[in-house]
Amino acid sequence: MPSDRRSAPLRAVIVDDETPARQLLREYLGDFPGIDLVGECANGFEAVKLLPELKPDLLFLDIQMPKLTGFEVLELIEPPPAVIFATAYDQFALKAFEIHAVDYLLKPFSKERLAEAVDRARERLHHHRKLPVASLATEARGTGTPLERVLIKEGSRVHVIPVDRIDYIEAEDDYVSIHADGKKHLKQQRLTELEGLLDSQRFVRVHRSFIINIDRIARIELYAKDSRVAILKDGRQLQISRSGYEKLKDRL
Amino acid sequence: MHPLLTGRGTIALYVAAWLVIAALIAALLIIPGTFGWSAAAMLVLPMAIVYAFMCLSSYYLCRAFPLLSTNVLKVFIVLLVAAVATSAVWVLAGSAWAMALGSLFNDAQFWERYRLQYPLLFGIGVVLSLLVAAVHYVIIAFEQARAAERRAYELRLLAQGAELKLLRAQIDPHFLFNSLNSVAALISSDPDGARTMSVRLAGFLRESLRLGAQEFIAVREELALARDFLRIEQVRFGKRLQVEESVTPDAETVIIPSLLLQPLVENAVTHGIAHLVDGGTIRIAARRTAARLIVEVWNPCDADRPRSKGPGIGLQNVRYRLSTLYGSDGSLEVEETNRYFRVIVSLPSTAER
Repeated sequence: MPSDRRSAPLRAVIVDDETPARQLLREYLGDFPGIDLVGECANGFEAVKLLPELKPDLLFLDIQMPKLTGFEVLELIEPPPAVIFATAYDQFALKAFEIHAVDYLLKPFSKERLAEAVDRARERLHHHRKLPVASLATEARGTGTPLERVLIKEGSRVHVIPVDRIDYIEAEDDYVSIHADGKKHLKQQRLTELEGLLDSQRFVRVHRSFIINIDRIARIELYAKDSRVAILKDGRQLQISRSGYEKLKDRL
Repeated sequence: MHPLLTGRGTIALYVAAWLVIAALIAALLIIPGTFGWSAAAMLVLPMAIVYAFMCLSSYYLCRAFPLLSTNVLKVFIVLLVAAVATSAVWVLAGSAWAMALGSLFNDAQFWERYRLQYPLLFGIGVVLSLLVAAVHYVIIAFEQARAAERRAYELRLLAQGAELKLLRAQIDPHFLFNSLNSVAALISSDPDGARTMSVRLAGFLRESLRLGAQEFIAVREELALARDFLRIEQVRFGKRLQVEESVTPDAETVIIPSLLLQPLVENAVTHGIAHLVDGGTIRIAARRTAARLIVEVWNPCDADRPRSKGPGIGLQNVRYRLSTLYGSDGSLEVEETNRYFRVIVSLPSTAER
C-alpha cells in the first residue's frame, strides 16, 4: 500500500570517509522522525559489503572516498537505493543528476536543506519504486572519459583493477574474464559493453571473443591462410580475426 | 639633453668625425691655392668645431617633426630652411674670424679671398647640417626602439610578478568547505573542539595571506604553516593522517619562495592519504648540503589509484616558480611508485633569516 510506505520509516545508510561528516549527518537525521539510520560506512569497500545486507531505501553518499568513489559504489550494488550525494565538490553535480540522484548536498549544508532532500527522496520512492541507477551510472561514465579501472565484485569482496594492468579480456557466455597480473577475474558484463567503455587506442577487439591490451603484444604471426595469432609478452597466444587484424594494423 | 652630449665617448667620436670634415674642407681651400697650409688650418679648424655644435640644435627639430607621423616633404623643407639659416650664420661668423686672422697675419687680401669662397662654404654648410639631421633621425629611431624594448621588459616583469603572486595565493576552496563542515559537526558534540578548529582555521588563513604577500620567507615559517594545515586536516581524517618531520636546524633559517611547500603538503593529503582506507604517514624532510637546500615531501598512496598522466597543476606551479626564480639552479623531482609518491625540491641556500 502506497500510504503505508509513505508513513513507514525510511531505512537510511551514510557512506562517508570523514568521521565528523558522518557525525553531523547522524545528528541531523536524529531529529527526522521518518528516518531510521540503519548503518554507516567509512569507505566504498565497506559500503559494497554491507549495503546488500542492510538493504536501505535511502543512501547518503560522499563521492571522493578511498578505493571506490561514490559513483563506483553505486555501480556495484543491486538493487540501487535512492541516493542523495553529500560532498564539498560541486563539479560532480552534473554527473550525479545524470545518474538520477535524488539530490546533491554541498557541504556544509543546513538541516533545512537536508529536510528538503529527504522530502524529495520520499516523494521519489513513493512514485516509482525501482530506480535504474546502476546501468545509468555506467552509461553516464561511458559518455565521458574512458574507464580507468575495472571493478569486480566477488561475493562481498571488490577487486579494483587499473586498466593498465589488464593483459586481455575474454568473453565467456554472459561473463567476461579479465586477465591481469597473472590472475583471472570473472565479471558479469558483455564484452561489447566493456569494449565501449575502454580506451579504444589501447584496447582492441581483435576477435569475437577477445579484447587485447596492445602494450602486451610481443609479435603477430601468421597462423593459417586467413588468420593470425598474437603472441603476448608472457608467451600466451590469442587468435586474431581478419577484421581484428585490420584494426590492430591501424593502432600499431 | 642631447644624446651625443651625454657621454665623453660619444662627444669625442663626434668631434673626431668633424676633424676629418675640417681636413676635407681645408683641402678644398688649399688645392686651388686659395690659402696656404697653416692659414687654411687656422681658418677651418675653429669653424668646423663651432659648426659641429651648431648642427646639434637640429636634434630638437627632428624630435618635433618625427619622420613617421609627418609629411616627408614638409620635414625636408623645415630642415632645409634650418640648414640654410645655420649655414648662413656660420659663413658670416667665419667671415668675422677671417677678418681677425687677416689683421693677425697683416694680410689685407685674406678676408677678400675668404669672401670669394662664400658659395662653396655655404653649400658645404647646408649639406653638413642636413647630414647631421639625418644622423639625428637614426639616433631617435634607435632610442625609440630601446625604450620600447625596456617597456616590454618592464611589462613582462610586472606580469610575471602578478602571475607569481597569483600562484602563491591559491588556497583550495574544498579545504575550506570540508573544514567548515567539520566545525559544524563538532559544535554540538565537542564545543571546545569546534572553537579550537575555527581558531586554527582563522590562524591558517591569516598566516597564509601574510606569507603569501611576501616573496620570500624562512623555511621555519613555511613549515609552521604546513603544521597548521595538517592539524586542521587531522580533525577531518582522524588517525588516518599521521605526520613525521625531520628538519635539520640549519635548514630552518634558509630563505625560500613563500608558499612553495604548501602545495606539496596539500597534494600529499588530497592525492595520498585521502585515497587510503587506513591512511598513512606523511614525511616532511629538509636539510642543507653545501650551498643547497633539499626539501622532501613523501606520502604513501593507493596502488590501485588511477595513474595521473603527468604532474598536477600544483606541482607544475611549483616547478614554474622555481624555474622563474632560479633558472636551472632550482629543481623539482618526482618519484612515483605503486606504494608511495615523493617530491624532492632542491634550490640554492644562499640567503638566511
